[in-house]
Amino acid sequence: MKILFLYIDPGSGSYLVQMIIAGVLAGLFYFKNLWLRIKSFFVKNRKDETTDND
Amino acid sequence: MINEPIVPQHHPASFKDPSGFIFKANGKLYRQINTCYADDYDLLMSSGLYKALIEKKLLIPHTEINENFYQSPDWFKTILPEQLTFISYPYEWSFDELKDAALTTLRILKISVKHGMILKDGTSFNIQFHEGRAVFIDTLSFEKYDENKPWIAYRQFCECFLFPLLIEHYHKIDVQKLLSVYLEGIPAGTTAKLLPLKSRFKLGIWLHVYLQASVNAKNKPTSKTATASFSKNKLLNLIDSLQNIIKPLKVETTIQSTWNNYYEETILSKNYLQEKEKIFRELIGDINNGRTMDVGCNDGYFSKILAENNPDVIAVDFDSQCVNKLYLDVKAGITKNILPFCIDLTNPSPALGFNHAERQSFAERAKSDTITALALIHHIVLSKNVPFADVAKMFSDITLNHLIIEFVPITDEKSQQLIANKTTYHKPYDPEAFEKNFTVYFQIERKEIIPGTERILYRMKKLL
Repeated sequence: MKILFLYIDPGSGSYLVQMIIAGVLAGLFYFKNLWLRIKSFFVKNRKDETTDND
Repeated sequence: MINEPIVPQHHPASFKDPSGFIFKANGKLYRQINTCYADDYDLLMSSGLYKALIEKKLLIPHTEINENFYQSPDWFKTILPEQLTFISYPYEWSFDELKDAALTTLRILKISVKHGMILKDGTSFNIQFHEGRAVFIDTLSFEKYDENKPWIAYRQFCECFLFPLLIEHYHKIDVQKLLSVYLEGIPAGTTAKLLPLKSRFKLGIWLHVYLQASVNAKNKPTSKTATASFSKNKLLNLIDSLQNIIKPLKVETTIQSTWNNYYEETILSKNYLQEKEKIFRELIGDINNGRTMDVGCNDGYFSKILAENNPDVIAVDFDSQCVNKLYLDVKAGITKNILPFCIDLTNPSPALGFNHAERQSFAERAKSDTITALALIHHIVLSKNVPFADVAKMFSDITLNHLIIEFVPITDEKSQQLIANKTTYHKPYDPEAFEKNFTVYFQIERKEIIPGTERILYRMKKLL
């Protein structure tokens, strides 16, 4: 069965995985935002976490 | 009509991408861009992406040369990238070098997306270390971003960067050697089997490793999945997720590796080091030019001295923790002109890839004007049982001008430790035998005994 992969471009197999991961992350992001909004209602002036300045 | 044979014009490592190729001319490496990549190249330059990446020192800068060297019908442009001091490969990097290479790739990807482009591949071979930092060298890896599509190089990125980093993080083992076997990266299925059970309880790792391994194993690839729509937000979330997993990964620096406290612990310690440094500075004084390679660099104490006056110092050691420590020093800005890599001189990186030419052997890349080898000879001769004659030949192969080498006698505490459990080693092991074999290839210019020890520092000049 593994022989199948010899004919696949390294990228092609990852599309479905990315769709699933992106779906899960979007869900998490939604709940994280909801939580932050609830939190910010009680804790004022909370500084947002910053990432890269890119 | 006779079909003339086509002789490859490209560099042996530059054949996969039809967009163009690297070639050598006039002693320099150029890159030809083919007409099929014209639109993407123009977009890279006009979208502001090239400028942004150069300003952040993430991409190797280049100048355009309007010369079609090979009168190639596919020719669009020739570019001359800033030349690199030394080409290294992922299986020669320490943990933090691989980690920084990964984060650099993701940072570039994010900036590219903001400029309407995306990386079409995610291999670690696109990264080199230049002026103390990870830099992306493949100018032809950028293509127009289609927001409906996921990242084509996601799987390749995971296999080349994320999976080796996770294995090293969890097991505290060197993965460098593994990467010389898995040149295209470690597959998800293999990684899933290698990682410990506790890693399954981290959502990010479960998604990117276990889920991917399971989907890869079950899903027969069809073109249908490739057409399903994606979005920019989803892609940015995916990149964030990868960054969030990689950033906290680390290897314990508290673990005692073979040599990472060598200079701090040795009872010869302070006086020996001061005297050795004094003589070393005298010996290198007037030969400090060209490329210098410090082999068996340990924590880089002497590499740093070399770097004071030398623009290009390559520091290699087989101990990845020492190399990592030195890399972190370089990264912290202590010095910028040292490139530290994991190389075992008694088992250096071989020539790998297609036709044994895609990735060059260490010997092919190691030739340097000056080679320094301090407190190393006893390891090669006494531990690894390599005769003096072979060691001398090896050093003559990689030395262009000068060799600074320390002889550690058999009476030395460190030599005694090495032979304590050995029944045999190549004899005679003494300065006379050492000199006799090295003077086949070198002329001894200076010879200084390090006060308080029987160790001898030599400065040799290669015979023409």
